[in-house]
Amino acid sequence: MTTRHWLQTGRRAFLLIMLAFFLAPFLWLATTAYKPSSAIFSIPPTFAFSPTLDQFRTIFRLFDVWSLLRSSVLIATGSVILSLALGVPAGYALARSKSRYAMGIAYFLMAIRMIPSVAALIPFYLMMRDIGLLGSWMSVVLINSMLNSAFVTWLMFSYFRGLPPELEEAALTDGCTQFGAFFKVALPAVMAGIIACVLFCLMFSWNDFLYPMFLTRLESKPLSVALLSAYGTKDITWGTLGALAHFSTIPIVIVILFLNRYFVQGLTKGIH
Amino acid sequence: MAFATRRKLFLAIMAVPVVAYVLVVGIWPLAQGIWYSLYDYNLIRPQRTKFAGLDNYIEIITDPVSRQALINTAIFTVGAVFFELLLGFALALSLWRDDRFNRLALALILIPVTITPLVVGLIFKGLLAADYGMIGYFLAQWGLTDPRGLLADQHAALATLIFIDVWEWTPLVALILLAGLKALPSDILEAASVDGATGFQKLRIIVIPLMLPAILLALILRTVDAFRVFDTVYVATGGGPGNATNTLMLHAVKQGLEFFNIGRASAIANLTLLIIALIAAGFVMMIRHADRKANGK
Repeated sequence: MTTRHWLQTGRRAFLLIMLAFFLAPFLWLATTAYKPSSAIFSIPPTFAFSPTLDQFRTIFRLFDVWSLLRSSVLIATGSVILSLALGVPAGYALARSKSRYAMGIAYFLMAIRMIPSVAALIPFYLMMRDIGLLGSWMSVVLINSMLNSAFVTWLMFSYFRGLPPELEEAALTDGCTQFGAFFKVALPAVMAGIIACVLFCLMFSWNDFLYPMFLTRLESKPLSVALLSAYGTKDITWGTLGALAHFSTIPIVIVILFLNRYFVQGLTKGIH
Repeated sequence: MAFATRRKLFLAIMAVPVVAYVLVVGIWPLAQGIWYSLYDYNLIRPQRTKFAGLDNYIEIITDPVSRQALINTAIFTVGAVFFELLLGFALALSLWRDDRFNRLALALILIPVTITPLVVGLIFKGLLAADYGMIGYFLAQWGLTDPRGLLADQHAALATLIFIDVWEWTPLVALILLAGLKALPSDILEAASVDGATGFQKLRIIVIPLMLPAILLALILRTVDAFRVFDTVYVATGGGPGNATNTLMLHAVKQGLEFFNIGRASAIANLTLLIIALIAAGFVMMIRHADRKANGK
């Protein structure tokens, strides 16, 4: 029994060290937002500081935070809605179809995920320029949703496949319409999958900066791009970046921490 | 109309929009990218566009900067994936038992995965800076690193980027492997314990062979993602110092959207896509083989 006890202690110790390793850098960024600049730039670096909200005042003075936030929210919501509207019905159709093409289409959509973002960006950039959408948040939604809807289809395909079709068949024989059987019977049974899809789309479009960096203009710029352009500018310190990260990063981290169950389940399901 | 026909029609109508969308917004631009890559096409002087055949591709191989980017990307991918798999497996084994501590630990450990990759780059740039960085300052003071910091060191920058990638993505690898561990049939493991197998023997003879599909899945996912890395590298080093950390994606963006050399950028992007497709196809074949073995042929 003692070896087992020691093994368990060792495992705990290893996990605690790993937790410190994976959390410390994040906590460092979060706390810089509450440090006065003197504490950030002290030589040698110091761990002790008296908390202040100065950094938050600075970012509201330097940035139009609400406009950045609005763009981020528009891009994220637009992408979530479009991706789910396209992907969820398709996932259902592919899971229920007996056609021999269904599996092939599902794999094709999964493979879309592997496209390097840059390979799609350059031709897409020229396409948006030609149809006059360059510079709008819409163009970012369009390309985000291309990658997201393909992933949503694949993920929902695995969720719907795990759902026995008997209930829908019973509803159909009872005179329910086909859409009704999908919408009222199958859909409520895969709510966990829907939540996972929302989380993934949200995370992807909120965190993405390559597409908005080249596709948006000043007034349609989201937080992620502002964060990058802020770096290296005069008056910008790690503290202001930390404060800005409170808007750009920490909301997503908290949402996923609370809905962790769905995130983990969707991740392991979507990968298989 | 018979029900079977109506059913087919309904399912087709549900699936067509996403396929059409992906073809128009994804595949069509990609096909155009192949077209562009065959031309000497620069946005600064579009009137002088002319057919170039495979010149853009040949230049990737002959141009030392492009070749360096290809080598850097390969080193980055192999290094990052190797350490992520090693550390991820150790983490998955420690998280295997389903108790409250482990569930909480898993939730917290996933935080790096959810952080904006751009912010990950900034965090480490801040921590490792030699002048004010919480870690970089001491490393430089004690003479352990270049006085300008790890990310500015020609020889250490790429290794540092691998370290950052390991920090960011090991939790994801651990999660995939943990799902594989939890799906193992417990009766076989118990039988092995009864027969007096040691922990290491169980690992080598039962766990790893049965988990091979999950391991390969983690491998394919991380290899593909590491090969097209952009965000963290762009922020942390921008490809420098010199070209020491220039990767294929970074190179493509610089060529295409900073120098507007669309032909060359498209060729680099297409080559990357081709390599990724080949890697993925290789892994898929290995997964099929492993699946067949794990399920007893």
